[in-house]
Amino acid sequence: MERRSLWAVGTREVVYMAIGAALYGVLSWVFNIFLVIPGTANVAVRPPVVLPLFFGAVFGPWVGFFTGFVGNIIGDLLSGWGFWLWWDIGNGLMGLFAAFALFSIKRNYALAELWAAIGVIIGMGLASISEMWVSGATMQAVIIENFVPAAATNLVNGLILLPILLAAYMAVAGRTGR
Amino acid sequence: MLVTFKYLAKDTPIHRLDPRAKFIFLLCFLFSVTQFWDLRLLLVFFGIAMGYYALAQLPFRETRRAWFFMVFFAVVLVGINSLFVRGGRRFETEHVLLRLPLLSLPLTAEGLVFSAGMIARMLSIAAIALTLPFTINPQLYGVAFRKLGLPDHFAFAMDLAFRFVPTLARDFFLTLDAQKARGYEVERLRGGPIAQIRKLAPLIVPVTINAIVGGEDVVNALDLRCFGVTKRTWLHELRYTRWDKAVIAFSLAMLIASTAANLLGYGDFWLPPVVVGLDSGA
Repeated sequence: MERRSLWAVGTREVVYMAIGAALYGVLSWVFNIFLVIPGTANVAVRPPVVLPLFFGAVFGPWVGFFTGFVGNIIGDLLSGWGFWLWWDIGNGLMGLFAAFALFSIKRNYALAELWAAIGVIIGMGLASISEMWVSGATMQAVIIENFVPAAATNLVNGLILLPILLAAYMAVAGRTGR
Repeated sequence: MLVTFKYLAKDTPIHRLDPRAKFIFLLCFLFSVTQFWDLRLLLVFFGIAMGYYALAQLPFRETRRAWFFMVFFAVVLVGINSLFVRGGRRFETEHVLLRLPLLSLPLTAEGLVFSAGMIARMLSIAAIALTLPFTINPQLYGVAFRKLGLPDHFAFAMDLAFRFVPTLARDFFLTLDAQKARGYEVERLRGGPIAQIRKLAPLIVPVTINAIVGGEDVVNALDLRCFGVTKRTWLHELRYTRWDKAVIAFSLAMLIASTAANLLGYGDFWLPPVVVGLDSGA
């Protein structure tokens, strides 16, 4: 059987990029507006953050990145919150790094959790640090006000829901022979 | 429940602009305004941003939620942080205007001006960023990013994502209703934060897995139509008008001028003499 590159983008990846981004956007909107879980003043608690991690782990880094990046844009567009490029990139990076667990090949849940955690820390770290550049805040301030709440809530949401989604996907994939 | 994008179909100068011109303006503005700390220059950018926002003629009832969040973020988080921490900057002499009671924290002229500058900067960026969802037709994002240089596959995925939104939103609310009919109470999730998140799985898992299973049909349909074999054409064509070219030229000139000024040492922190005169000597 032909072995595909981790970075290959074919029809399958295109469709799952679109589905991942649309799902992440819609669920972000739902949890921003209707099913709000209280967070901190400037960081929302969003269980859908598991989606870029899941799509990255299962379908590869481009799908993970696109799900986080475009999904966050769609979520903000639906909620009417504007366009915040550095947070969109941060969300994309979470999905991109989650792909390095190679879950579709190794099927190792612990590895998937580890790479998801690395993705969250790098993605939210980069987005938070860019607040220093944009709002002139100190490193200490962005760590306390942005990084810790964003990374902590995303880690909790992502790491709890990721294995549940992966297990559900494996059941379906096994049944359908995919 | 129907999901709708925030786009408002109006005939304003900003609505008429090509989406590419709006993205280029946003990026040039962002990279320009963040090069300055001088309150006078930041107020010029603030004026440009507010003029741009006013031209979009957005109703306040549509934007108030976002503005509430942005003003809170800019004033309370950025403003107060800048007031006392001043972005980590150290000034040779500081002019103390007063000392806050109880904490005895000094409120300095430098902190006050720095904070005003950062609030102006944040609100300027917010004003430009907030206009995008309301002034760009969601059908144009894919073709706009394609014309901005994104590869066909990614631009198509973006276009497809926007088209999936209403379907997936409908699926989500159907799932929510179905789970509620089984006794699931999403409004009353009990337990700690971890327990609450775990209890959301019955909502998130079926919607995601259904979308993935349904996605296989879309993959097959696209493959059968030889997707990706040749270069794509787009239903909507984008053409720059004179105004688009003028906005792009202005954006690039603003970025080049800002970068040049920054490299020449202009635009650093400036303290208005009038504020120094208020020094209480405390």
